[in-house]
Amino acid sequence: MHFSDYVILAFRNIWRAKLRSALTIFAVVIGATSVTIMLALVTGAKSFFLDQVQANGTLQQVAISPQQDITNFNDAQHNSGGNCSTNCTKLTDLVVDKVKAIPHVTGVARVAGQGMLAAIAYGNQNLSLNQTTAYDANGIIVNNVLAGRDIQTSDTTGVLTITSDYADKFGFKGNYGGIIGKSVKLLTQDFYSGVGANIQPPQQCNGPCNGNNQPNNKPTTLTGTIVGVIDTSNNSQSVRIPIEWMREMQENQMYQVTPADQAANAAQQAKCQRIAGPCNITQHMTLTTTDMLAQNGYSSLIAKVDNSKNAASVATAVKKLGLGAADAEASIKQQLTIFNVIGLVLGGIGGIALAVAAVGVVNTMVMAILERTREIGVMRAVGAKRSTVRTLFTIEAALLGFWGGVVGIAVGFGLTRIANIFVNKQLVSQGVKAHDIISLPPWLILAVVGIATLIGMLAGLYPAARAAKLNPVEALRYE
Amino acid sequence: MPIPTPVIELRGVTKTYKLGGETLNALDNVSLVIQPGDYVTLTGPSGSGKSTLANIIGGLDQPTSGTVIVDGNDLSQLRDAQLSEYRNHHIGFVFQSFNLQGNNTIVENVMLPLVFSKVGRKARKARAIECLQAVGLGDHLKHTANQLSGGQRQRVAIARALAVRPSIIIADEPTGNLDSAKGKEIMALINDLNTQGITILIITHDQEVARKAKHMIEIRDGKLSEHGA
Ligand SMILES: Nc1ncnc2c1ncn2[C@@H]1O[C@H](COP(=O)(O)OP(=O)(O)OP(=O)(O)O)[C@@H](O)[C@H]1O
Ligand SMILES: [Mg+2]
Repeated sequence: MHFSDYVILAFRNIWRAKLRSALTIFAVVIGATSVTIMLALVTGAKSFFLDQVQANGTLQQVAISPQQDITNFNDAQHNSGGNCSTNCTKLTDLVVDKVKAIPHVTGVARVAGQGMLAAIAYGNQNLSLNQTTAYDANGIIVNNVLAGRDIQTSDTTGVLTITSDYADKFGFKGNYGGIIGKSVKLLTQDFYSGVGANIQPPQQCNGPCNGNNQPNNKPTTLTGTIVGVIDTSNNSQSVRIPIEWMREMQENQMYQVTPADQAANAAQQAKCQRIAGPCNITQHMTLTTTDMLAQNGYSSLIAKVDNSKNAASVATAVKKLGLGAADAEASIKQQLTIFNVIGLVLGGIGGIALAVAAVGVVNTMVMAILERTREIGVMRAVGAKRSTVRTLFTIEAALLGFWGGVVGIAVGFGLTRIANIFVNKQLVSQGVKAHDIISLPPWLILAVVGIATLIGMLAGLYPAARAAKLNPVEALRYE
Repeated sequence: MPIPTPVIELRGVTKTYKLGGETLNALDNVSLVIQPGDYVTLTGPSGSGKSTLANIIGGLDQPTSGTVIVDGNDLSQLRDAQLSEYRNHHIGFVFQSFNLQGNNTIVENVMLPLVFSKVGRKARKARAIECLQAVGLGDHLKHTANQLSGGQRQRVAIARALAVRPSIIIADEPTGNLDSAKGKEIMALINDLNTQGITILIITHDQEVARKAKHMIEIRDGKLSEHGA
């Protein structure tokens, strides 16, 4: 019997029991559709993620933290520095120079993050600030700029970029360009003692005074000009400023009694002791400024490597300096594992649906064989071999699976198109260029149809074997 | 005169069924020879083993012991694939209950054996139409089997049996479901086939039919008593 005859016969038999076949195929469709959507989602999201990583140049970066025990790329970036005591090396400019000297390192961006600023105000909107990040605008750290521009090398103080969620709240949703060049107020924390803080000398006191107390307990208001609006996807509710401005903000200004003041004060006191009666002593103090950023070091560094292949070896070299370092590869691998796990779990759900569908196919085929027992007897009488009968029923079952797969792909395709519309909208609203994340590559289409067909075929094996084993004489007598 | 080679020879064929503890010999040591072009009727009471014998001759069933030799080959030694080919190439079965595929056209019904013998699509359609014309259904080609009368259906069954140009047609009570007029027409058709040289083995209860045969085999409790012309 020719293969095409098998397919034609099988097709006609499926057509003959339209309703039953349709219901069986429907079960396969549910399984195939869910597998399709799930695989499409995972592969799409994975490639989107990889594209993003590629575009950011993340693979060519090594994140460096003062904390030695940090091995994760993201943790290394987000470590805020803070107190550096054990297993910790301050990221001072001296250390930065050492990192720059490591072979394959083409540049280093210093990053300083601090919760120095408490709020940002524009018009009558006053919004709290999560994080102020400052970094060298030397092209190593790239942001997705939606309007205006990123911080650049020539910027020193008084300019900032804001994330798009702020721009939205300031009333520039859909018109990010409109906020560029606008001036905003930045309200500092109470303890702020950097540039612009109104530092008062301590209260005059009678008798000896060290004068170390910090009388200024009011927030300072700074002003800055917005030069850019950037995508929120990495970090929402944050502003980015040039590192030199951050240095000024972190300055510690205070009145101190310098050795010269001490001498002057001692002289005054000696004079008073000589005079009987009230004696007014004016405490001498001087406003001093300390560069705390230089003293405490940066919160993290991003080293750029000439080739992503060298990222791991550079990370190792950085660790030898007593620092924590991590390249992106490990954490990307980790995140890809997550995608794979999600894929497995979701695919598993679809797999269960397909398994149920397979049981449906078995059931349908067993029913069909009971119904067509006499027909099988006739086929055997006019010359069908056992193998002919077996092949015919196996192909029939495979065809049920095949149609289920085809319809499943079609439905899955339709649903992913619809889902993409929503996902794209979401992305655009977050300022990411819309590209259909949920993709249906040809291999997936082939795989789903192939798997559905194979499942149908496997489900048909047992019923087909039963049909082939039928005794033709008894089959012909079957009522 | 050369003696014609026996097409079919049965030697000591026994068919035993085991039902619970008891054994039942549906056929008991049956030996017979059917010559090419023969016309054999098989009669006997119900349950005597007629269908069993016909099925063994037709290669649809196999004996418990004994041999069935066709052109020097022992059927009981054949594998399923070879036995199926034997049925496909040499045997045309006609059943009492027609056994057609009711929703298929009669052309499709007649083509079925040719599908299994890998005859091309055009050739098998042509042959099916030819066979249907031979049984007088040339103007009903578009009909499905369900749309025909009993007598017409049996003609379709005969056309299906003829499709592969068999050397023997085995008909198990072909007129059993028909009234006597229609039955006579079918018998006339079968007689006609015999005059064209096809060997006929027919199971019947009709003594009139039986008497016209060249050979009449009577079977009782699985044992033969042959009356030949
Ligand atoms: N599969 C079977 N299992 C058990 N016994 C069987 C089986 N097939 C046939 N028999 C028995 O074998 C005997 C012969 O059966 P067979 O069908 O050959 O009779 P028959 O002569 O064709 O009868 P009828 O004229 O009623 O068709 C019967 O007694 C029947 O019960
Ligand atoms: Mg019978």
